[in-house]
Amino acid sequence: MQAKQELKREKGTTGVFRKEKEGFNPFKMAQQQFDRIADQLDLDEQTRDLLRSPLREYSFSIPIRMDDGRIKVFRGFRVQHNDARGPCKGGIRFHPQETQDTVRALSMWMTWKCSVADIPLGGGKGGIICDPHNLSETEQEKLCRGWVRQIARDIGPVRDVPAPDVMTSGQHMLWIMDEYETIMGGQYPGLITGKPVELGGSRGRTEATGYGIIYILRELLKEMKMDITKTTTSIQGFGNVARYSAELFIQYGGTVVSVSCWDQAENQTYSYYKKTGIKLDELIKITDRFGTIDKRQAEKLGYEVRPGDDWLKQEVDILIPAALEHSITEENVNQIKPQVKIIICGANGPVTPEAEDILEKKGVVVIPDFLANAGGVVCSYFEQVQSNQNYYWTKEEVLGKLDNKMTDAFYKVWELSKRKKIRVSDAAYMIAISRVAEACKMRGWV
Amino acid sequence: MTMETTMADKTDFTKYQKKDDQSTAGVAQNGTMIHELKERVKELNCFYRITKIIRNSKLSIDEALQEIVKVIPPAWQYPEITCVRIYLEGREFKTDNFQQTEWKLDSRIVVDEKKIGVLEVFYLEEQPQANEGPFLTEERKLIDAISDLLSKFIEERRIKEELERQRQKLDYVEKMMKAEGDTTLRFRSQEKKQDWEVILDLLAKTDPRTLLRLTRKMAYHLYRMENEKITNLLNKISPVDNDSAAINWRNVNTPNQREELNTFLTIQKQVFEIAKDSIPADVISTLFANWMKQDKARPLLLMSQKTGIPLVEITAELNRFFDQEDVESSISPEDKMSIKTALIRRFFAERLEYVNVAKTAFELKDFVGIADHIVGPAQGSGKLGGKASGVLLAEKLIKEEMKKNPMLKNISFPTSWYITSDTILSFIHYNDLDEVSHVKYLDPLEIRQEQSFLEHIFKNSTFPFEIVEGLRKIVRDFKDKPVIVRSSSLLEDNFGYAFSGKYKSLFVPNKGGTEEERLKSLINAITEVYASTFSPDPIEYRRERGLLDFNEEMGILIQEVVGSQVGPYFMPTFAGVAFSRNEFRWSPRITREDGMIRIVPGLGTRAVDRVSNDYPILISPKRPNLLVNTLVEERVKYSPRFMDVINTDTGMIETVDAVQVFKKYFDELPKITDIVSIHDHGRLTNASKILMDPENADIVITFQHLFEKTDFLEKIKQILSLLEEKIGVPVDVEFASSGNQLYILQCRPQSQSQGIERKPVPKDIQEERKIFFTKKYVTTGNIDNIEYIVYVVPEEYTNLSKREQMLKVAKIISELNVKLPRRKFILIGPGRWGSKGDIKLGVPVRYGDINNCSLMVEIAKEKGGYTPELSFGTHFFQDLVESNIRYLPLYPDQEDNLFNEQILLDMDNKLSKILQGYKNFEHVVKVISISDILPGGTLSVIMDGEANEALAYLRPSDHLTWRTMKIEEITQALDPDLYGIQGMYLIGSTKDGSAGPTSDIDLLVHFNGTEEQKDKLMAWFDEWGKKLAIENKERTGFVTDALLDVHIITDEDIKKKSSWASHITSPYQTVRKLALKKDH
Repeated sequence: MQAKQELKREKGTTGVFRKEKEGFNPFKMAQQQFDRIADQLDLDEQTRDLLRSPLREYSFSIPIRMDDGRIKVFRGFRVQHNDARGPCKGGIRFHPQETQDTVRALSMWMTWKCSVADIPLGGGKGGIICDPHNLSETEQEKLCRGWVRQIARDIGPVRDVPAPDVMTSGQHMLWIMDEYETIMGGQYPGLITGKPVELGGSRGRTEATGYGIIYILRELLKEMKMDITKTTTSIQGFGNVARYSAELFIQYGGTVVSVSCWDQAENQTYSYYKKTGIKLDELIKITDRFGTIDKRQAEKLGYEVRPGDDWLKQEVDILIPAALEHSITEENVNQIKPQVKIIICGANGPVTPEAEDILEKKGVVVIPDFLANAGGVVCSYFEQVQSNQNYYWTKEEVLGKLDNKMTDAFYKVWELSKRKKIRVSDAAYMIAISRVAEACKMRGWV
Repeated sequence: MTMETTMADKTDFTKYQKKDDQSTAGVAQNGTMIHELKERVKELNCFYRITKIIRNSKLSIDEALQEIVKVIPPAWQYPEITCVRIYLEGREFKTDNFQQTEWKLDSRIVVDEKKIGVLEVFYLEEQPQANEGPFLTEERKLIDAISDLLSKFIEERRIKEELERQRQKLDYVEKMMKAEGDTTLRFRSQEKKQDWEVILDLLAKTDPRTLLRLTRKMAYHLYRMENEKITNLLNKISPVDNDSAAINWRNVNTPNQREELNTFLTIQKQVFEIAKDSIPADVISTLFANWMKQDKARPLLLMSQKTGIPLVEITAELNRFFDQEDVESSISPEDKMSIKTALIRRFFAERLEYVNVAKTAFELKDFVGIADHIVGPAQGSGKLGGKASGVLLAEKLIKEEMKKNPMLKNISFPTSWYITSDTILSFIHYNDLDEVSHVKYLDPLEIRQEQSFLEHIFKNSTFPFEIVEGLRKIVRDFKDKPVIVRSSSLLEDNFGYAFSGKYKSLFVPNKGGTEEERLKSLINAITEVYASTFSPDPIEYRRERGLLDFNEEMGILIQEVVGSQVGPYFMPTFAGVAFSRNEFRWSPRITREDGMIRIVPGLGTRAVDRVSNDYPILISPKRPNLLVNTLVEERVKYSPRFMDVINTDTGMIETVDAVQVFKKYFDELPKITDIVSIHDHGRLTNASKILMDPENADIVITFQHLFEKTDFLEKIKQILSLLEEKIGVPVDVEFASSGNQLYILQCRPQSQSQGIERKPVPKDIQEERKIFFTKKYVTTGNIDNIEYIVYVVPEEYTNLSKREQMLKVAKIISELNVKLPRRKFILIGPGRWGSKGDIKLGVPVRYGDINNCSLMVEIAKEKGGYTPELSFGTHFFQDLVESNIRYLPLYPDQEDNLFNEQILLDMDNKLSKILQGYKNFEHVVKVISISDILPGGTLSVIMDGEANEALAYLRPSDHLTWRTMKIEEITQALDPDLYGIQGMYLIGSTKDGSAGPTSDIDLLVHFNGTEEQKDKLMAWFDEWGKKLAIENKERTGFVTDALLDVHIITDEDIKKKSSWASHITSPYQTVRKLALKKDH
């Protein structure tokens, strides 16, 4: 895929040749990370070869008759990284310049994520190269249906279960499901997850990720002999993940002193601080659709409005970055107060590897993203189970089962990390990879 | 009003008649001439009716005479008090009101040279003395002509009766007449004259001018029939050079010889002889009848051709014309066209393009309705202005189309009133505010100061009585409906300049209060709109375009606000603007021709203007499937949240939270389900209204139902194409809906829309001055005075090996966005600005990171044979639109496109001078100062969507800007305390804005220091002057002396108001005070 080293153009005055180098490649990075863990696990060469690359890759054309009558051919694909532990699970994304390598990396990442949460699913990812902004709704529907027609034989509730991803939504999933059922001649709601509750979706999905974080945090605090009712936390963000983390944490008796959000009108982020702890209800009431908290009203309610990056400078026990990637970097990691003991990653990739090194030296426990925010994928698994049974649980049931899963997953990782005195993220990767490797062995693949 | 005017005119007429003879009518004053013509028409009507009666062979002589007396009085000056009697051989025929009085006019009826009767006309009341008692000379002529006509009629009838008697006696005669009709005809015509000949005779006696006109018309009629005789005849009297012989004996440049009109009169007989030979008698009669009918429109025609005709006369004349019976059908098409064109010029616009469209669209009758809704000085000759003209034309075109096109049914137009453009002048004169006209020549700063004062003065002034009464009519007509007062500028229609948004438009809630109070608030609004004529922005705009000296008369358009009462608010369900050209394409699949609609709930103000904290819904009427925002979360995020409404309790326009208002008054707003959707679990649904629980639902304004389930888009699409096709240019149309009814509020050429004036790409730019040129996906817009280019080098960006580095580039952009001067820099970068997922595709900035730039350019360089797809600003498209940040895609590798990248790579990179700590990124992010490339210059980007071309080029500073810059440098460098300077002022050409390449900079220095200080100061200025002269020479090539001209004045000078000091002291001169260092 990557362009060979190629002479681009002579640079004017200096006479230096500018070359198109091999830039940032996510798949390569994922492989490097795998190799590092595989070394530690002392995995055999064959298992490494099997796990370093996806099992299957499908790439196909989807011809679509556009609204204006012309035919346009799109490129669709699906990568199934590994299904030794169960059917593949992973999103289907619409992206204008999707690359095979990005999808490969993401499918591998899904394998580890399902594995660390200990749910019987493998990893997959797929998509269509397109920009939905240039497509009408009918065209998008045709694309979804066209995608299914090409891959129907190789996906399914017992083979590979897609879900919404970048620029796809519940509506796209329903079109995909409908086309699949038409082809297969039956009801297969378990083909896909991310469906609306009215049509085969699971209750509790909005809460799942945020609650999952706090289930893990609750157990971690027990392990660290900290009384949750005496702990304080500062949360970055005020979206779904942040809100439900805060909700459950406050419910457990903890104090959230600060949240932050993007101010749509002023185009910058602000932190909202209250020493005695924020009250979620009153903040949600003054939050608009953009997730922007009304500054003036917040001040009236006794909140201090501070600069956006203030959330990480708080003297709290726990930091929950639940908004953006690369929020904690080499440059700002030293602004974190010594009192902070735990950073639990709600967002994807909020802590850069360099920052994580520094934090480790400081003795801060960092719970990695793919463990901490696995609540989402666990709930998707529940959705699939319910759909396959055609029997749907109450929200309490869903959240109760989620609690069990997350708690178990955490203890497996925590135990290894304690025992071997290794980073939590390393322990998590080791457990995830070893489980998959073991399944492959048991199946007699390697 | 009408009656009074008529009477007044009549008195004038009589006075004039006393002094002058009818033969001088041709040179009479306009008014009297028109009046006189009307009198002529009355007479002709009388004749025409008499001949009609006479022609009716079914009537006996007695019956005919009884009919004839009835038609005579209307031809007299005072028809109501005129009575008539005919005495004929002992018999008497008289009008019902007949009564003998002392005011009598009579004429004998003579047959075979014997008096057999008399025709008498009496006035029942005393009237002013005229020529013959109270009777006019014309009336004498008329009565003689009628009696002559009667004599002939009686004579003919008697001959006919005689013939009849003979016919009965002699069978063979009868047989012969039946068998040989032709002979009969000849026999008859020899015996007696045709009807039309009788009319000719009469006209010859009473009205030679009308006769001349008829002659001309007949000659022309014959000429058109290609009658050889008439051609010969005409050539004889005035040869035209359509044959070469004519050219031979005359110089080409001399006019064709022409005979006096009288000559034409002399050939009259010949013309009608020819007519008689070549056209059947009844056809001639019909022609005559038609021509004479057409004369009914003559006063209107004549009047409309004049310039500056008072409003009151046009209105009266129009009404009078249409009060006559059966007029529309009788007026000749040419005359109709001519009157219409004249009225269009008079009321609407002189612009040929407009007149051409309007003259076929409007019917004469339409002007009666329009004139009824005009308020202005009765004797004034103002127009309605561009806005009113535009909407009236659109209304007419759409209404016409509605008759044939069922799709366009149910389109309405709000009730409108118009105030003529000269009303503002009358207002100014009436209040002795004449000095305001100098305001526009003041310095912008002074205008700003004067503006609020002016508004105050205007609001405390009164209108002349006649205008107030006119406005009262408006208030009564609108009753308690809210209205909007809009400016309707003359510059807009005459020159095609875009004044939209420059002047105020004000709402008047019109609720409650007495008529007086409502009148007061209407007047208040009008004066405020008037005052806005003198506000700095439009004056600046006019100054820039050289329109300052044009006297801005401004018409006013007062429209009913469409909508319904919802709780305490009055508002339309939705409103917006539709453009027939899409200047904000959000996808390459949308063409400019697909058009665009900006639509909002409530009043249209938020769709017309850009609103920073909110988003109107954008949709293309021809490509409704291609939404700006495709994902549900985007659609929710970029949905309108606020709306403008009229609070009828307070009488104010308020911006309210639309969703909250909808929740509260869900059942009151008509068709609310057309515009809202329910956001539920990541989906937008349109449940039926009865199932909705507005209190607890997440209501999002999407217009989804309106777009998908109603014919709204189809309607707008058809209206746009109709108007564009008829008017011939792209248009924009403002609309509003009361829920059930769609209203069209405004229509104007899109080139006059706010902010998207078309400017063609200059063709004479030297190659080395061009930065880029592109011919793909260009939308219209211009950006000037760019000082910096921020260029993210595509190859270097792609080469970054870590995700963190790419995020760092976004951070650099974000910091530059704060550091660089707002709207003075443009961004050029690879692929998709704002990319979220795969950030290799483009710098992952958010809107807040780029919100100060003025243009965002995306480069798609070919890579191994394929060109990457660009984002078209998708990630924050609506933010860009609302803050007027332009977007341009650039395809440097495609033919005809140009990107002078080398210049950007070679120039000094300012990045590290502006920001700390990004040395490592200098090869990726280039910050180029334009004045490094071209000293003192700026970058201009001209984007012409019409031609699909955009050019970014370096522009040297103009003389004025350069001087202004230098003055700033001088004041920065000057220490006023050191040199004893009290104040410094700018005068002369630099202050006036008229500085040329060699102009001095004239400074007035208020000095109160010592002699020593003065010497030092002069030396200091001398130094500067020389320095500037050198710089100027480099710029322009002109050699000048020192460029500074400094005049020192002291306190003493100011006290004495001596020469230079007069600049500050005189109220007639203006200076610009310069800010000195100590002032800060």
